Amino acid sequence: MEVRGPLIKFGVLEKLLNLARANSLWPMTFGLACCAIEMMATTAARFDPARFGAEVFRPSPRQCDFMIVSGTITKKIAPVVRTLYEQMAAPKWVIAYGNCAISGGPFVFEGQYNVIEGVDKVIPVDVYVPGCPPRPEALLEAIMKLEEKLTGYRRFPTPERRW
Amino acid sequence: MVAEELLRGLEGLGLEIREALYERQGFWFDIHCPRDRIVEVAEAFDEKGYWIEDVLCVDWRERLELLYHFNHWEDPRRLSVRVQVDPADPEVPSICKVFPGAGWHEREIHEFFGVRFKGHPNLAYLFLHDEIDFYPLRKDRVPIPEEDKRLLTSMDFSPEEEDAFWINMGPQHPSTHGVLRLILKMRGEYIERAEPVLGYMHRMQEKMAEVRTYAQYYPNTARLDYVGPLAFSQCFVGAMERLCGLEVPERAQVIRTITLELNRIASHLLWLGTFLLDLGATTPYFFAFDDREQILDLMEGLTGARLTFSFFRIGGLYEDLNDGFLEGVARFIERMKKRFQIYDDLVTGNIIFVKRTKDVGVIPREVARRYGATGPTLRGSGVAYDVRRSEPYAAYSDFPPEVVVRQEGDSYARYLVRLEEIKRSLMVLEQAIERVPEGPFRLQKTPKKPVPGEVYFATESPRGQVGIYIVSDGTDKPYRLKWRSPSFSNLAAFTEVVKGQLIADAVATLGSLDLVIPEMDR
Amino acid sequence: MIEWLKRRYREDFGGDPLRLALAMVGLAMILAVVVAFLYLVVGRTLKAVWSAWGWDVVRLFLGMVGVMAVVFGNALFLVWAERKVAGHMQIRIGPKEVGPYGLLQSIADSAKLLAKEIITPRLVDRPLYLLAPLVIFVPCLVAMVVIPFDARLQVRDINVGVVLILAFSSLTVLAIFMAGWGSVNKYSLIGGVRSISQGIAYEIPMLLAIIPVVMMSGTLSLKGIVEAQSRLWFVAVQPVAFLIYFISAVAETNRTPFDLPEAESELVAGYHTEYSGMRFSLFFLAEYTNMFIVSALATVFFLGGYKGPVLPGVVWFFLKTYFLIFIIMWFRWTFPRVRFDQLLNFSWKLLIPLAMANLLVTGGLLKL
Repeated sequence: MEVRGPLIKFGVLEKLLNLARANSLWPMTFGLACCAIEMMATTAARFDPARFGAEVFRPSPRQCDFMIVSGTITKKIAPVVRTLYEQMAAPKWVIAYGNCAISGGPFVFEGQYNVIEGVDKVIPVDVYVPGCPPRPEALLEAIMKLEEKLTGYRRFPTPERRW
Repeated sequence: MVAEELLRGLEGLGLEIREALYERQGFWFDIHCPRDRIVEVAEAFDEKGYWIEDVLCVDWRERLELLYHFNHWEDPRRLSVRVQVDPADPEVPSICKVFPGAGWHEREIHEFFGVRFKGHPNLAYLFLHDEIDFYPLRKDRVPIPEEDKRLLTSMDFSPEEEDAFWINMGPQHPSTHGVLRLILKMRGEYIERAEPVLGYMHRMQEKMAEVRTYAQYYPNTARLDYVGPLAFSQCFVGAMERLCGLEVPERAQVIRTITLELNRIASHLLWLGTFLLDLGATTPYFFAFDDREQILDLMEGLTGARLTFSFFRIGGLYEDLNDGFLEGVARFIERMKKRFQIYDDLVTGNIIFVKRTKDVGVIPREVARRYGATGPTLRGSGVAYDVRRSEPYAAYSDFPPEVVVRQEGDSYARYLVRLEEIKRSLMVLEQAIERVPEGPFRLQKTPKKPVPGEVYFATESPRGQVGIYIVSDGTDKPYRLKWRSPSFSNLAAFTEVVKGQLIADAVATLGSLDLVIPEMDR
Repeated sequence: MIEWLKRRYREDFGGDPLRLALAMVGLAMILAVVVAFLYLVVGRTLKAVWSAWGWDVVRLFLGMVGVMAVVFGNALFLVWAERKVAGHMQIRIGPKEVGPYGLLQSIADSAKLLAKEIITPRLVDRPLYLLAPLVIFVPCLVAMVVIPFDARLQVRDINVGVVLILAFSSLTVLAIFMAGWGSVNKYSLIGGVRSISQGIAYEIPMLLAIIPVVMMSGTLSLKGIVEAQSRLWFVAVQPVAFLIYFISAVAETNRTPFDLPEAESELVAGYHTEYSGMRFSLFFLAEYTNMFIVSALATVFFLGGYKGPVLPGVVWFFLKTYFLIFIIMWFRWTFPRVRFDQLLNFSWKLLIPLAMANLLVTGGLLKL
């Protein structure tokens, strides 16, 4: 099915707006488990995401741009995740941080009855960050990947292999 | 002593008492009790001043066995009361009138095993939810009968009186307690009742243990309490070593002590930052995390991980020390001693902070005893009980830490206890890094399969007493594994204490308890 | 240039001359309507106004434009400054990547908020919900009209300027309650109710702290008050009043340590939870403008307004005002939140008696 574009195309304005959005991504605190501590360590003084504009952690979903789902999604919390995602104002993005959010993580075993294997079974995800828990630098890289998804430019060049 | 008096009394009641071997099993005496007399026995324990540690259940297929663990602050010897239950008629009188802390344990056993407790006021779901239609921890898949299902879904939140209303806190908190949902019954601005809803992070740790081998299960112990994972690791590893009678080399014990104390300091620093974030001050969070990063750098150089270390192994450590670790610890101790001035200036003397936490959330000694509260929550209320002193493990008998106690029992006292504990941990570290003995860091041969039997091991995490109960049947997978989580009992004490407080005070009290939700939800 | 036109022709109109012609005709029609409107309606109104008021209109218009420029420029600057100040107090640097020293951060934030989806929940009380952001922002603009930036840089010097400012800043409290009640949400309601009690409780000490100043300068007009400080700033004579006024001002603008109505960790929410996009940024604009207004008033009443040697008055005025704003920000990052009943106790039982005592003493000394 072909999705028709908007009636009025903005072109350059859309690019500028995307640039503005990329430089001022406001995350929503959705720390569930161990990865939440690494998320908190990212917001602390050493790996400050405020440099990139992602400083203001708003608790209310209506005022944030993207949601960092960090931690295991169990069946009890899945409806809450869905509600929060739907309450967010467009344009919105989701980062699945940590192995549990990507695919259930180390808690998937035969006969398991409570873990949902990956948050992308509940809400659409834009960036996946593997690790258990991923380092804070990985979260910063995820934010930069999200910016690249918006604007098409990478903020810092990827280091190249030299061997 | 107290235990002997109690046991004489119980023998007089006609109960069968057997002595257990502490070095192999973890408790001193086994008391077999028929199921109708459990309330009498509980009252006898209560009279002598015992506190309830844990209530757990083991499914032996042809019978269910309930274990009640009691312990005493002055005479810290664990006594275990066993009740055998027939699965066809699983009804046991509840002891929650005597020990209210058993209330939540009994709810958990009800929804996981199907044992009904007569006289319990509220046997509704604690961890699980409506979609699950079997008792998860039973060995065979036993479906839930109709009337039990009705009992499990019977919690009701309609306003009972005119001016009372229910308010919901969480499960998404900006103050990063994790996913805890508190349903508060309010009358105006005052809380009448607090009903926590747990289970949002229930990751089936205990069921997983029955499907994985001991070595495969071990990394999960770090995911239980991710802020202080080494205490849980030590618990698991220590239990297996106790069960198989393994003698861990000295070098490994001392290094374990060093890393455990570093972990304790890191956990207290994180608590400090988030507690003040709850109260509204955002700056100490950054200072505390800066200090914590220094510790994490050291641990990362040693273990390779920043948060969920899998460093211990059954019989020793994963790897020996790297170069520069001990010098790094010495440098860190020097730096940390100077940082206390910042915390004292910014936080301890801050008049708004003092007014928010003094006389707020006072937990009296008796409440703490009946609910089984441990850790700084207990030590802030005037009880000098610390597992590192009463049941020394790792190298704590060589470097005994001083126990910090304050008498007031309010949130300010708990804050001061934790701040002092950081100082005491620094003293233990100073001694320990001088005396690391040479030698192997791991046992050469560890048995492939453990000895069949049961074992209990307790350690002191930054939150309180962690306990693990393992039943091994001789194969390489555990038969039953149960964690005793300190936050679980502390939160139960909180629901008692929060009645009549304002919401702001409830937030301050909750923050001062230092809860970590996944260790509660397991 | 020609290449660009050709490419646009190909991409936007698909190379079809009929579509291009239709677009041109449509554009011409729209232009015609706009020009007609401008000439007939707007032109005639302007002519009427001019013949009634003359040059005064231009002065008023320029003044309002200047005030709007100050308000929005201030907001842009404060958004950046707050993040930088917070960063440096928290041993990190604030925004750094977005432009040199992060100066373009405010622009990025505003552009993003402009382009965000505006969600109106279905069950809200529409008039209250929709009007609350306006009611909170517009009185600030009105209050800016009487603030003297320099001896001759004031839009209008109304001779009851003090009363005007106090009247319009009380409307903020009303707006917060409209937001809290209108978004049908238990927590916003509690936040709104708390804000009303707080607002009322702290307006009284503010008023009582200003009255000694008015008594000493003998006039209610703001310029008159500044002129009365030509020899000695009032802060030297009325230190208690200055402290009381400053604390009440911080409480009126709902800044930490008095930010219970928007307390995040207590109830997840605050009165502006249900607002998104530009409506939300209006709340923040109002907060920053309020901060500017109360600091400006503190300099006018106590710190000598635009009086100062060597430098032009405007520069002194802004220096003093931004110094006080810096202190307000400093408070935010040092203190935890005050509990609600302690907040009210502090105002009613401590500040008001102190302010009244100060008033009595001032009145007595002036009589002598």
